[in-house]
Amino acid sequence: MAGSSHREGAHFGPRHYVLVWVALMVLTAVTVAVWKMQMPYALRVTVALSIAAVKATLVVLIFMHLWEHGGATRLVVATSLLFMVLLIGLTLADNATRFPYANPPYSAPAEGLPFASERPPSNVPPPPMRTVPEPGYQGH
Amino acid sequence: MRTEAPSPRLAHHFPSLETQEHAARLGMWLFLATEILLFTVLFTAYAVYRYLFPAAFDEASKLAHVALGATNTVVLITSSLTVALAVHAARQGENRKVALLLAVTIAFGAVFMVLKGVEYHHHFAEGQLPGRYYHFAGLSGPGVPMYFTVYFLMTGLHGLHVLIGMGVLAWVAIKAGRGEFGPRYSTPVELGGLYWHLVDLIWIFLFPLLYLL
Repeated sequence: MAGSSHREGAHFGPRHYVLVWVALMVLTAVTVAVWKMQMPYALRVTVALSIAAVKATLVVLIFMHLWEHGGATRLVVATSLLFMVLLIGLTLADNATRFPYANPPYSAPAEGLPFASERPPSNVPPPPMRTVPEPGYQGH
Repeated sequence: MRTEAPSPRLAHHFPSLETQEHAARLGMWLFLATEILLFTVLFTAYAVYRYLFPAAFDEASKLAHVALGATNTVVLITSSLTVALAVHAARQGENRKVALLLAVTIAFGAVFMVLKGVEYHHHFAEGQLPGRYYHFAGLSGPGVPMYFTVYFLMTGLHGLHVLIGMGVLAWVAIKAGRGEFGPRYSTPVELGGLYWHLVDLIWIFLFPLLYLL
């Protein structure tokens, strides 16, 4: 019984899966290598998220067969991506454009990010970030 | 070993097996879309708190164990490969191979959970806990406990999905052991595989966000 009633178009086989696996491994190594280089913050975020997006695309298209299966499944994926962007984008935009005191106390959006310029003059300096225990620190 | 699988049952409301298979796949993708949105809520929380406390997240993420996280990335990606190969084998009717590949996948899942447990143990021992339970002396400041709230929520929900995925794949592996799959019927392998790939997909984003940024 040949699978003649089965799917249309090109099929991916084990060879392709192994190639995708190699690509995913290389991309993982690149992400870690970039992390070790301690690049500037914006560049680090861009590179890490771009690599993650490429890896995710490979997994979805090849491993999850979206390349082979068209139609409604693609619509479902596209819709979920759209709502993902809306949910993250609008929520971030909300926090970023608020009257600053409406955000949690001591929050300080990074300089250089959009919307971050309108900080109120702070009368109370935030508690400092401490990376080593202060003398006499007892914990809770 | 190639065996001729028994013909799958065709539900009366589907005109053909092919339509039935398409419907099953579409239903699975709809479910995966809700899963993606479930995790998107957590990614949104991450984005908001990272935006509000950039310095705290920068410092706190240095407390994550990158070596363990990277190893787990390799483990999950490799397990995705074995699942993809299992789906292919199922379509060829090689049921023994399917069962074997799925067993390997489940073993990778177990390795992932063990490594995750080691990480959790370290964080617990150091007092790097969510919210008001945070009492790590080496790093404090506004927003730092929020990193660990988000960290435990995201990795915890993801870990739960790994466990569920292992269960689903074990069930599919048993079906493969009974020789149920072949060119005309591989839907459970395919849909179980989709779920496992989703777990991998989410980790692909969790790893850089929580460990590397």
